[in-house]
Amino acid sequence: MRNRTWCTIFVLAALVAVSTLVLTGVADAGKLEDAIAQTPQGTEKGMINPDAPKGFMGIPGGPSPFWFYGILWGIWVGWIFSTVGAFGGIMAGVGHISVFGLGDYAATFRKTSPSLNALLTDSIRTSNQYLVGLSALMSSITYYRMGRLVLPLGAALALGGIAGAYLIPVLTAGKISLKAYVGYFGIIVLIIGCFLFYDTTPAGQEKKKKAKAAANAFQEAVKKGSGDVAAQGVRVKSWGLTKIEFSFFGVEFSFNPIWPLVGGFVIAAISAFIGVGGGFLYVPFLTSVTSLPMYVVAGTSALAVFISMITSIFTFMFVKGTPIDFLFVGAELIGIAIGSVVGPYTSKYIPDIWLKRLFVILALYVGLKYTLRGFFGINI
Amino acid sequence: METLTLLIDQFLIKFYRLTGQTGVDFVIGTLVLATIALLVGKASVFVALQFTRKQFQKKAAEAEKYHLLSLEALQEGDQEAYNAANKLANEAFGHSFFQQAALSAAFLWPVCFALAWMQHRFLDVAIPVPGTGLSLGFIGVFIILYVIVYFLGKRIVRLRGLSSKEAAPALDSPQNLAEPLLVAPPSLTHLSDKK
Repeated sequence: MRNRTWCTIFVLAALVAVSTLVLTGVADAGKLEDAIAQTPQGTEKGMINPDAPKGFMGIPGGPSPFWFYGILWGIWVGWIFSTVGAFGGIMAGVGHISVFGLGDYAATFRKTSPSLNALLTDSIRTSNQYLVGLSALMSSITYYRMGRLVLPLGAALALGGIAGAYLIPVLTAGKISLKAYVGYFGIIVLIIGCFLFYDTTPAGQEKKKKAKAAANAFQEAVKKGSGDVAAQGVRVKSWGLTKIEFSFFGVEFSFNPIWPLVGGFVIAAISAFIGVGGGFLYVPFLTSVTSLPMYVVAGTSALAVFISMITSIFTFMFVKGTPIDFLFVGAELIGIAIGSVVGPYTSKYIPDIWLKRLFVILALYVGLKYTLRGFFGINI
Repeated sequence: METLTLLIDQFLIKFYRLTGQTGVDFVIGTLVLATIALLVGKASVFVALQFTRKQFQKKAAEAEKYHLLSLEALQEGDQEAYNAANKLANEAFGHSFFQQAALSAAFLWPVCFALAWMQHRFLDVAIPVPGTGLSLGFIGVFIILYVIVYFLGKRIVRLRGLSSKEAAPALDSPQNLAEPLLVAPPSLTHLSDKK
């Protein structure tokens, strides 16, 4: 019951936070109009033709991606989510930057209207976060309710997360050009690609095989139905500035709260900067810092995702007034839903290792392309 | 497509003109919109789950199997087995986490369309919050009403005794995973409640 109470408290707290931030929304509604007004009028590149039909976010002459293409790209993203996992978030970003031409369009304003360039970049970042973050947020609440929360650990992560998720939009919104964003996006994709690549190497595969063998051996050894393994929970034994101790199933665990604080900050900052949920980073981070069992890690990381996502999306939208094309995001969500249905069916026929290899190649291509384009102006 | 958009617009705006009182009409209209978004979301999750239920449960069961195994290893003091089982549980969890994340898009897409319509119609609307000097934008009004409708809907279903297996999804059904604010699956609530 305690978990349910905590969940209710967090939902209500989030609602209050959201409502408070939404209060400031109206004041920023004209930010896009201001940016458009500051942009030189004309028919050439980097200019806005007021007589042109309205496109993305109602900007005259802006790219107008057909909603059906949004659904199609969403299917691809949803398929990746349900087969490979975190790489779906990257593909959502690739869609916004390259496939739908929003990146190229924003880039045309780099010299003529830096404010519109930055606003469009922020919109791409926030759209990515909407697509990935909202879905991750929904699952996170579920897992939060399922799992047990190591409160001091969750609190340390959440504090770091709030700082990272608030500071990054505040410090970078309106200041990051599309070029820089694309470059950093490329580097993150390359790093994820390296992790995926490691999984496909003989060493990565061997590690997995070993874990499976050890787990199976233990399963054989234990008596069936041995006791109530779920009867004990997390018991915090001592709180301190440098060490927090707790027991779980009679086993002692301890951690230095500074690490989850720093980890929460870094992960939330990366997530907010690139425009992803961050859930895929919290779980391995917590596992390596605390060595906690899966459901405890899931519950604790879910709290961190939940809080940092709310902070980031609403800081972007309501503190910094970043506009969003809800219609297009909605079309993409339909696609993601379809992709999530198709994914499990097709993955039966494609071995996991081949899926990962496919995405290693994609990650290397996208990562290199964006890094070179963003930092060196080289198009490949 | 434009005709359809126009028809939807004409249909929705009717609920914003019921009483002639601007504030009251805005709340009534948004309440109706939130209800429609919620019902459409629930319906599409239901349809999506007809196709994915088995695969969904398979991954969740795998995660739980290794998780329970890791707990047993922990009790036995077998650190190596614990690390191995926990690693596999984490992998299976990661897989089912992203499956659910993608599936919950089926629940959320109507919210985006509702907000898109409101953005088109009420971008500059500001509902004053009494005693604060502040005002609430259309997104704030929608989110608050959506959450209220969600919890009210749940309460009504419970009061009417419709939470039987036929009327509502089983507690451990994947539908409850895609709609996270519903109750948690019992197979896992036993982990969180037994203290």
